[in-house]
Amino acid sequence: MSGLIQTGLSLFATEEGGEHAGHHGASYWGLMVYFGFTLLILFAFLSIAKSGFKDRVFKNKWSSRFEQVYLFIESMCVNIIGPHGRRYVPFIITFWLVIFVSNIVGLFFAFTPTADLGFNLGMALISIGYVQWEGMRSNGVLGHFKHFAGPKLGLAMIPITLMIFIIEIISEAIKNVSLSLRLFGNIEGGHKMVEGMNTLGTNIIGPLSLPFGFFLLPIKVLTVVVQALIFSLLTCVYISLVTHHEEEHHEDHGHSAAPMTA
Amino acid sequence: MSEIKKSSAAATWGMFFIGLVLMFAGMYVSTSVTHGNIKSLEEMGVPLDPGKTLSVIGVFLMLFKVIGNFFLVPLSDAITTRNSDLESTFTEAENLRNQMDTLKSDYEKRMAQTEADAREKIQSQIKEAQELRKTLMAEASSKADELVKRAQDEIAAERERAVSGIRMHVANLSLQAAEKVLGENLDDNRNRKLIDDFLDKVEVPAG
Repeated sequence: MSGLIQTGLSLFATEEGGEHAGHHGASYWGLMVYFGFTLLILFAFLSIAKSGFKDRVFKNKWSSRFEQVYLFIESMCVNIIGPHGRRYVPFIITFWLVIFVSNIVGLFFAFTPTADLGFNLGMALISIGYVQWEGMRSNGVLGHFKHFAGPKLGLAMIPITLMIFIIEIISEAIKNVSLSLRLFGNIEGGHKMVEGMNTLGTNIIGPLSLPFGFFLLPIKVLTVVVQALIFSLLTCVYISLVTHHEEEHHEDHGHSAAPMTA
Repeated sequence: MSEIKKSSAAATWGMFFIGLVLMFAGMYVSTSVTHGNIKSLEEMGVPLDPGKTLSVIGVFLMLFKVIGNFFLVPLSDAITTRNSDLESTFTEAENLRNQMDTLKSDYEKRMAQTEADAREKIQSQIKEAQELRKTLMAEASSKADELVKRAQDEIAAERERAVSGIRMHVANLSLQAAEKVLGENLDDNRNRKLIDDFLDKVEVPAG
């Protein structure tokens, strides 16, 4: 396990030099250890919160907090996707929790899973893959791909339809990149800024160094929340785009939304 | 709010299987497979490791099930139970309120009825009292008239008695006076008769 964490700097550290200078990813095992650590923290809090579910009114403050998160995500799903959006709450909330806890870990530790592009791309692929799956489930495979071709145009406009189709397919693929790069850029960018600020404070008064990067804590805290929200929100929007026909169908036939499945 | 249902065991194990396969595949790709494009991307400052991505996908496939079954299902159950409890409490409260409204309207009706009855009773009592008053007044008036009449009769009798007494006294006095004047004893009965006749002639009617 030597060299587990190749690099990565906390809010309180200075920039590393040497062989890996400028490279801020972790090795495969480094990422897995940090991911495991993140999940350990997450499940520790989930366990604490779960212990308070027996009460009729949650007296455990962590139960109340997680309930608020749950209700917030549920409300977001319903508002964006529609009444059938409740079905996607477990999916969205899992993303939100993992990204949020991972970002929090990044405030205090040298590395965080969300500062790894590979990790973020994995989440983005699941998100967009699920969106495609839901699109095909609600519109049928052909119907889903028909959406990419845009509105029905005459035979003479087939080249335009084809062009729209190709652009839409590229756009769908790019969603993976935008989702993952946005998160990576914000979290890794935050680390870089902290490193830069800390470098400014190195040996500022004789051998004493001041962690100027600490002053970025408020903006980093904001990033932690906003990035978790943006990823979840965009996933909701993408789901909404491919399932809005389903909502109309439900409204037309007065069907209730299908139950959520964990 | 709809409840989160626990996914079937088959779906959970299926996801776990796929997740584990992807995890190990990712580990293999990350540690054993190198590709020129990945290196060039890394040189350009985009450190992308497809092995990590594969593993993360695998972990997430398991994580959805674990978080769902471990946390979200109990949370959703707790919220649903609480909501249904609240709903039943509200329904109960609503029923009680309706019951209370019914009781209140009944009470108001009874109050109004009682008031009307009381008013009617009071009116009849007043009427009865007035009649009683009239009767008593009439009785009192007749009694008073009777008493007055009796008093008048008594007065008349007394007067009569007094007058006859006085007459007797006057006759005696007259006889005594005549006796003394004439100096002889006259026949008493004949004298009396004379005096009475005399008195009748001279008597002034009573005023």
